[in-house]
Amino acid sequence: MQAYLGVDVGSVSTNLVVIDDDGNVLVDLYLRTQGQPIQAVQEGMKQVEEAIKGKKIEICGVGTTGSARTLSGVIVGADTVKNEITAHAVAASHLVPDVQTVLEIGGQDSKIIILRDGIVVDFAMNTVCAAGTGSFLDHQAARLNIPIEDFGGLALQSEASVRIAGRCSVFAESDMIHKQQMGHPTPDIIAGLCDALVRNYLNNVGKGKEILAPVVFQGGVAANVGIRAAFEKALGLKIIVPDYFKVMGAIGAALLAKATVKEKGETNFRGFVVSDLEYQASSFECQGCPNLCEIVNISVDDKVLARWGGRCGKWDTLSKTG
Amino acid sequence: MRVGIPRTLSFFTLYPLLKPFFDGLGVEVVVSPASNKALLDEGVKDTVNDACVPIKLFHGHVVALKDKVDVLFMPRIISLDGKNTLCPKFLGLPDMVKYSVSNLPEIIETRLDMKKGKMEIYRFLYRVGKRFTDNKVKILRAIWHARYKFSRYRKLLLKGLTPEEAFTCLHTGQEPPHKEQSGQIKLAVLGYPYTIYDDYISVGLLDMLREQGVRVYTAEMVPEEAMKRMSKKLPKNLFWYYSNRVVWGSQYYINEQNIDGIIHVTAFSCGPDSMTNKLVELEAKQHQPKIPFLTITVDEHTGEAGVATRVEAFVDLIKRKKGII
Amino acid sequence: MKISFPYMGTSHIVVSYLFEKLGFEVIYPPTPSKRTLSLGVQYAPEFACLPFKIVLGTYLEVVEKGAEILITSGGCGPCRAGYYGELHKRILHDLGYPVEMIVIEPPLVEPLDFLRKLHKIVKPKGIFNLLHYGRIALEKLKALDVVESTLHELRPLALDKQQINQAYIEGLELIRQADSVKEVIEAKKAALEMLESVPADHTFKPLRIGLIGEIYVVLEPAANHDIERLLGERGAYVHRSIFLANWTRDNVLAHGEKDIRAMAIPYLNQMVGGHGQNSVGEVVRYAEEGFDGVIQLAPFTCIPEIVAKSIMPAVSRDKNIPVMTLFLDEQTGQAGIETRIEAFLDLLWQKRKKQEAS
Repeated sequence: MQAYLGVDVGSVSTNLVVIDDDGNVLVDLYLRTQGQPIQAVQEGMKQVEEAIKGKKIEICGVGTTGSARTLSGVIVGADTVKNEITAHAVAASHLVPDVQTVLEIGGQDSKIIILRDGIVVDFAMNTVCAAGTGSFLDHQAARLNIPIEDFGGLALQSEASVRIAGRCSVFAESDMIHKQQMGHPTPDIIAGLCDALVRNYLNNVGKGKEILAPVVFQGGVAANVGIRAAFEKALGLKIIVPDYFKVMGAIGAALLAKATVKEKGETNFRGFVVSDLEYQASSFECQGCPNLCEIVNISVDDKVLARWGGRCGKWDTLSKTG
Repeated sequence: MRVGIPRTLSFFTLYPLLKPFFDGLGVEVVVSPASNKALLDEGVKDTVNDACVPIKLFHGHVVALKDKVDVLFMPRIISLDGKNTLCPKFLGLPDMVKYSVSNLPEIIETRLDMKKGKMEIYRFLYRVGKRFTDNKVKILRAIWHARYKFSRYRKLLLKGLTPEEAFTCLHTGQEPPHKEQSGQIKLAVLGYPYTIYDDYISVGLLDMLREQGVRVYTAEMVPEEAMKRMSKKLPKNLFWYYSNRVVWGSQYYINEQNIDGIIHVTAFSCGPDSMTNKLVELEAKQHQPKIPFLTITVDEHTGEAGVATRVEAFVDLIKRKKGII
Repeated sequence: MKISFPYMGTSHIVVSYLFEKLGFEVIYPPTPSKRTLSLGVQYAPEFACLPFKIVLGTYLEVVEKGAEILITSGGCGPCRAGYYGELHKRILHDLGYPVEMIVIEPPLVEPLDFLRKLHKIVKPKGIFNLLHYGRIALEKLKALDVVESTLHELRPLALDKQQINQAYIEGLELIRQADSVKEVIEAKKAALEMLESVPADHTFKPLRIGLIGEIYVVLEPAANHDIERLLGERGAYVHRSIFLANWTRDNVLAHGEKDIRAMAIPYLNQMVGGHGQNSVGEVVRYAEEGFDGVIQLAPFTCIPEIVAKSIMPAVSRDKNIPVMTLFLDEQTGQAGIETRIEAFLDLLWQKRKKQEAS
């Protein structure tokens, strides 16, 4: 069976999916990046190889996305390297063909994508720090000593949510502590945090956007029923959370790879050997001009595979992004 | 016929002129409620993200008024003193609101530009009056009446009344209560009237200070001739009316009034204040002896606790310096 | 006397030439770097805009190298950039650098002040010297603009982007060295030939994008993460709303750009300082000229552009042209800019494909 691989490497999680020719998900993986994108990709590749072993699945194309898209693209030999906005939009409109709004909240960033007739017409990404992202919730959950998995359920038990103010997670945290000290029950505080996240998201990322149904909510935070409920309350619309909400970026990358390979007729995929190779990442500060750009080298067996990071393009000869 | 006036921005400067004027025309004036959480939330939702909190608040006041009035009064104020303009946000305010808030009633966005001469304020009122009546005599009488009240308002502010107290005096016609500030230290609290006199956005700063035994002085208490004198001191003045009054006020209190310290209240990401704040800071720093200086930054996320801590510490610092505690 | 000035785009080529010929020792402002920015950020007010911080950083770098006079432009508001000269001076003095700051105010607003300062600058070698070299400098300004706009046209078509970037840098050097009107014209021709000799795919129809916003962040690559290059390398033709020569003509010598402002009037019937009203008008113009999209660049906390941005959704909807606004400050990361640009280009390609299909 012909299949396509999608790899989405972000700062918090590394996701891989394998889809078949009709876009059905055969394999989906969700790993922590833990600051080691190369190892995370290699580990993911190993797990994908295990999962498809003996199933007569042939990887005919691979696409990467996420903030480490260039790096992971070099490692796996990507046919397409796409920004995460396009990847998320492609995946959402594949699963919900008439989708008009995509809300995506990941670990370190959040975005909104507006589509009309299957085409992206507008988008925005968060401009302020963690107040509208998943790490904000992780952080506060840790602070309250509650497993993040229970967070959403507890929020639903609240009868009157507490108002938590704060431009960023540090300020929100001090306000939350203040509310705790005033004696508010925990579920009300958690519901307040969910409301605060949704409010900050809509006021920052969603500002001025025409949010119409169907609304698809994806990204790691979509697991949280408290946030889902807060969105439904704030927007007055039903929120659709797709089955594979966690790995939508990777699905989009796989779909894009499929389209690219169909067009050019071949793949650059380096095969599953990549999980056994020894990749070295090194960096140095270019002294060529006062910009002092940090140049990153990726090499295998002392052979430089790719290099990027310079403003002037002097070092970019080996790779192309975009 | 009801005309709505948002209780923010130029409100603290122009309301005592507008209220008697509209009264004289027989038009009912509806003022939005004092700023509050719900109103600010509404404003934050509608306003472009990067705007400062006073602009967001203004949008909130507009939303609070829009279904209660027939006409919204939102003049495009270019200049109030004939020399300086206002912050660019005032210049583009009617346009910003029109494209951000839906289902608005009719808007009066008459231009007020005092660079056109001293009589412009009357011509401005006349143009506004024409919207409501064709009776010229009625408009002129309303203008005359308004002018009288307005000059009285300025005098009341000079006596140290807050705008709200002055409004009450004007409304009831009573003489102001004799008001002698007591307290051991004198602080100049400088900022735009729509920030420092809006108790919600300044989290009750003025009262907080008075409770701590501080005599509070604001830019509105500086005599006009002193402002003029100060305006000649800088090699180049700022471009914005309210910002200049903050700078001149600070110079007056620093150089002529023997003030103990300065608090500058500014809104998060305020463009003109990035200049104003630095100028006042340098003025305070370069004076002999150095004048203690504190900046309070407010926005939609400000908590009362944070401001109180800073203010208390600042007041303590000055008191200790003077050997009071 | 050692003189220096703010760095903005390619203007330093012309400004330094002129001052050298006027008999000053020029301290070359370095290309703004990370160090420039961090120096500026350290001493500037927190909410001052990015141009203020970069220029302050530049001043601190040149005074270290011994600059005694700093020359810059003034302004009469309501954009705060008009006050920057004065505040920069105060900050530098406060830090213990006794530099002299010459702030050139707009000649039509302050004619006497302008003449007095001009006299001071010109005195060492006289007025005829100024007229002679002023003409060459003006010619250089025009040459730089022509070469730059040619680069914008050819970069999306070039097969090797690095080669055309390099050709451009060499072309600038030729113009810098030219020392007479004739030489400038020859240098311009040579620079254009170098750009045109780079192999290119002339059948490619690039996306056409208008670049608008506040002048400093539009003109200075260090402030905008070299956005023109990023767009050009990704197959987009960038038309910049502001070029040095036309800006100098319109704003220094006359109250120009009336036609652009007229286009803004249905949406914003008031000058709001800086480039706020122009930005609105330019979106209308780009839409009417059939551009695919517009990118608005503005420094964080820039009020004129905030006013413009709040009106932008209405203009974008009426004229059916996508507009993306990027607010820039010292916190803006390269990765964030690239992701947004790539997503915006994807959006525009999709829109074009759909239009072609119907």
